[in-house]
Amino acid sequence: MTVRATVEATIVAVAGEHAKALPPLTDDLPLLDSGLDSLCLAVIVARLEDGLGVDPFSTSEEAVLPVTVGEFVKLYEDAAH
Amino acid sequence: MRNVVVTGGTRGLGIAIARKLAADGYRAIAVARQQNDHFAACVQQAEATAPGSLRFAAFDLNDIAFIPKFVASLSEEFGPLHGLVNNAGLGTSGILATLADPQIERLLRLNVTSPITLTKYAVRAMMVGGAGGRIVNISSVVASTGYSGLSVYAASKAALAGFTRSLAREIGPLGITVNCVAPGFVDTDMTGGMKPAQRAQIIRRSALRRLPDAKDVAAAVAFLVSDAAGNVTGTTVTVDAGNTA
Repeated sequence: MTVRATVEATIVAVAGEHAKALPPLTDDLPLLDSGLDSLCLAVIVARLEDGLGVDPFSTSEEAVLPVTVGEFVKLYEDAAH
Repeated sequence: MRNVVVTGGTRGLGIAIARKLAADGYRAIAVARQQNDHFAACVQQAEATAPGSLRFAAFDLNDIAFIPKFVASLSEEFGPLHGLVNNAGLGTSGILATLADPQIERLLRLNVTSPITLTKYAVRAMMVGGAGGRIVNISSVVASTGYSGLSVYAASKAALAGFTRSLAREIGPLGITVNCVAPGFVDTDMTGGMKPAQRAQIIRRSALRRLPDAKDVAAAVAFLVSDAAGNVTGTTVTVDAGNTA
């Protein structure tokens, strides 16, 4: 499974668990409009660290703030390489 | 066996909590820098009745930078984490005006920053598991009353009470409960330095005319960790024989 596929599958799974209606995931979809709240994003980050072995948010000195789904995916693609 | 981590779990209140949880069917993982003879004897006893129910994990909770790795190693060795009991702490006493500055910092680091950071990573592990969880913070009655010579300790315990309430709201939607137990003065190593006159005064001022013991505190913790406490979160259970009633 590619990093992108893992990230997207995790987003879909967590949205489902928290009964959030998720619009189709496109790279330019703003995270704020995804229906995911900050707690969902925290769960996604924790699960991805478990699955991919990386957490781009903890390893960075400064706060990283991806705006879109595409930026979020890219953070993980960059961190995994 | 569901895993519950008990910091400072090799002596004092911590060992009473760990033993109670082990007896209740959990795997209690006692975290401390090192084991001691009494703890080793308790492990042997636990092995005879419920193998694996009382375990030890060596870690210095002052090493905050290594907490993420430590929590990962616990998950690797024992599996998913059900609960965390933040019990470890320093009981430094002294008049504020003459307390050494590094002592103040050390106390706040071990009693506040360390349990908050440990909780952060334990909660993340619980998020991965997706099965809810339990956080119990050991506060103290001095978080809400006053006792001369314990101002910094009291500040650290009040910090845990505030931390408890807000975190309970934050992670409640995940089925993770966060509560405090506030013991009164309990006879342990930590309170060993108390003068007999002080002890007598506390007893005289307690509704039940006695001090609670470590088992009373352990029973309250075990309740909050249990399934029966599934609808209890963001609160403090006081176990002080009525000292603050």
